[in-house]
Amino acid sequence: MKRIFDTQLIGPFAAMVIVALIVALTTDRFLNPGNLSNLSLQVSIVALIAIGSTIVIFAAGIDLSSGSMVALLTMILAQMLKMIGIPLMLAIPLILVAGGLFGLFIGLITAYGRIPSFITTLAALIAFRGLALTFNNGSPIFSLDPALEPIFYGKLLGVPMPFFYLIFFYGLAAFTMNYTKLGREIYAVGGNPAAAVLTGINVKKVQTITFVIAGFMTAVGAILMSARLNSGSPNYGQTLELQAIAAAVVGGASLAGGRGNILATLMGAMTIVIVQNGLNLNAAPSSVQNIVLGLIILLAVGIDMWRAELSNLMARLFGRNRSALTSPQKKKAS
Amino acid sequence: MTDAVPLWEFADISKAYPGVLANDKVCIKLFAGSIHGLLGENGCGKSTMIKTLSGVQQPDSGRILYNGKEVQISDPQKARDMGIATVFQEFSIVPTLSVGENIFLGNMPRSSFGIVDWKKIHADAARVLADMNVAISTEAITGSLSVGEQQLVEIAKAVAMDARMIILDEPTAALGEDEIERLHALLRRMRSKGTAILYVSHRLDEVERIVDEVTILRGGNVVRASGETKINISEIVSAMVGEDVGEHYPKEKNAQDGVVLEARALATKSGVHDATFKLHRGEVLGLGGVLGSGRTEIARALFGTDTLTHGELFLEGKPVSFRREIDAIRAGFALVPENRKFDGLFFNFRASGNITAASLGSLARLGILDLAKEEQATDNLIRDLEISRQAEEKTVNFLSGGNQQKIVIARWLFSDAKILILDEPTQGIDIGAKIAVYKLINKLTRAGKSIILISSDHDELLAMSDRIAVVQHGSITRTVAAHELTHDDLVRASAEATHEHKEEALA
Repeated sequence: MKRIFDTQLIGPFAAMVIVALIVALTTDRFLNPGNLSNLSLQVSIVALIAIGSTIVIFAAGIDLSSGSMVALLTMILAQMLKMIGIPLMLAIPLILVAGGLFGLFIGLITAYGRIPSFITTLAALIAFRGLALTFNNGSPIFSLDPALEPIFYGKLLGVPMPFFYLIFFYGLAAFTMNYTKLGREIYAVGGNPAAAVLTGINVKKVQTITFVIAGFMTAVGAILMSARLNSGSPNYGQTLELQAIAAAVVGGASLAGGRGNILATLMGAMTIVIVQNGLNLNAAPSSVQNIVLGLIILLAVGIDMWRAELSNLMARLFGRNRSALTSPQKKKAS
Repeated sequence: MTDAVPLWEFADISKAYPGVLANDKVCIKLFAGSIHGLLGENGCGKSTMIKTLSGVQQPDSGRILYNGKEVQISDPQKARDMGIATVFQEFSIVPTLSVGENIFLGNMPRSSFGIVDWKKIHADAARVLADMNVAISTEAITGSLSVGEQQLVEIAKAVAMDARMIILDEPTAALGEDEIERLHALLRRMRSKGTAILYVSHRLDEVERIVDEVTILRGGNVVRASGETKINISEIVSAMVGEDVGEHYPKEKNAQDGVVLEARALATKSGVHDATFKLHRGEVLGLGGVLGSGRTEIARALFGTDTLTHGELFLEGKPVSFRREIDAIRAGFALVPENRKFDGLFFNFRASGNITAASLGSLARLGILDLAKEEQATDNLIRDLEISRQAEEKTVNFLSGGNQQKIVIARWLFSDAKILILDEPTQGIDIGAKIAVYKLINKLTRAGKSIILISSDHDELLAMSDRIAVVQHGSITRTVAAHELTHDDLVRASAEATHEHKEEALA
């Protein structure tokens, strides 16, 4: 467990707590139980999708396609439930498989076609949105299935269902990244692809798998999105891919690949949603929300880039007695 | 010499980083017209000193005197203005620009209207290169030149700015024998013109050849100061390491009779042709030849990086062919690449992740890693190989080059690889670490693994190999017992190679 809950979590956790404190100071409605429960619902979709985005980033890729893929998958789900009449219990696994297949397709083109993932997923971002518009003449489909809503709004032992999805998928992802061969290989590919080739890791396969995971998690997010609004729409999921990437970055994942902790992404997602929630409660317009989201991303990357300088500064401010002026050689001599 | 005022004097320079005092009251005097060697093991504080001298960082305390007057080198630009040019290990040239552009980068002569004066750039650059006795076109794209030529361009930058002091950090790490000779001739000429040169190197054979006086650092302190030490290799080595190092090349003979690998008339598009040799179990087969003779290309052909256009490869008597590296690795090959920084290490992992990266399969059951076993195995290796204990806690980017190299090789000790190709395994690491690598080679061969050793350090190649395959433009024509060859034989073989090559070109 020490391995999963390591020091990389301290920063993102502190950021989350500080942001929560600030928001709580600006409005007393923040700590209201209704709001907190609403918060966990709000964070669930972006946090689940961010699992995939983060794993892609760990392997030094980037996934811009998830927002559009959500729209496409909600439209496919709507089509299946409403127009074809496929039962919900069959439609859900089909959507999960479809998400995985879209991811596989993107992954294969990226890894074996040697096209940077920034480009393949940018193309997918545009094309998936277009594909979503080809269903139902581009109009949303409403009232899909009464059994759909409990997936999002249902409660177990008084706790909203999305909370359990988060626990399950983050638990699984943390286990995979820290305790499995695949997780180690993903970090290795992201850390140094050339070295990974020379150590016998199948780099292209690993890269492809990260996109399959991302596609699958996007499908999970899409099902929750449909359940939340009991509908499918080609307009769902706008900028969701950026929020998911922002969650990863705020959580400390290095965009250069190879470094980061998947649980920190959950904290990153929470931080972002708390900020949005705080702005909402203070009746800030959506334009301000976008500006703030941009600034948060900038700050998070900045902290990553200036890490060395910041830790020097911290050492100078707080670590005077653990001074740099003791060299190991000198200790031995004395 | 002590009476003369040094061109530069660095007095009591101290510099601390978090957790380590990198320089502790270091004094260096640099005189015009003298080549000064700065030596020491990795982590002794050489790099820190160079950074201070070139204005990259400020010392915590100490004085810097220029012609006897106290000055500050506040930033790299200031250093350049004061005539200090630094040629770092990592080049600072732009590979996509022409040689002329690189030489005057940041200092482009302008004509009226502020437009770059290309004519003048190329004329001046050509004059500098001619001055240096270097035949490189100023129009050539720098990235297309050999590493040695790029090095010369780097130095040309220093010459072009009329540097009165040049700092060279490991200038020969990537150069072949004749290129080193050319560089040394150039440095001697610059010395005779009154330039002060600070020469940092791990290759002690060169130090003996070129340096006038030395300063040796150990643990951030000066252990031998300018002028005190005669240029005597064994004395320098013990001063650097701080103890008697004993046998420099602790060679063990572990070769057995069985043939593990046989190559017959291999050829590839990258210039390998007619490469024929046998490798025995537990043997070290050295590939001898100059830089560019095709040693690395032969390694690439064996490893499946370049596809064979002709020839056959037999692994333990059975014919094999590799389409990709992964096929070779699965068959039991391993390559420790020349460029460990770019091709060998995972800087995001601690030692454990680096050591087990090639054998995750054997650590995993149903895809789940046995982390306790991993820690145990790597702890043992770290202790065995005397790798810094820091390696257990910190990611490997915090380790010295020697420790890093040990970790890259330890990876294959841990794996079930049968044949290791070591490409320049001791390049850029200090004596202590070199000896550790040699011991590691013994350990590998003792375990029945076979090694193909590529090294530009001829002494090392001769001492550590059981047999040597002489490589001349891509082909292996003869394989001889290492003790039958001398340093001169190898140099002559390379000289013959270039000679023949020229004739071929003329024909």
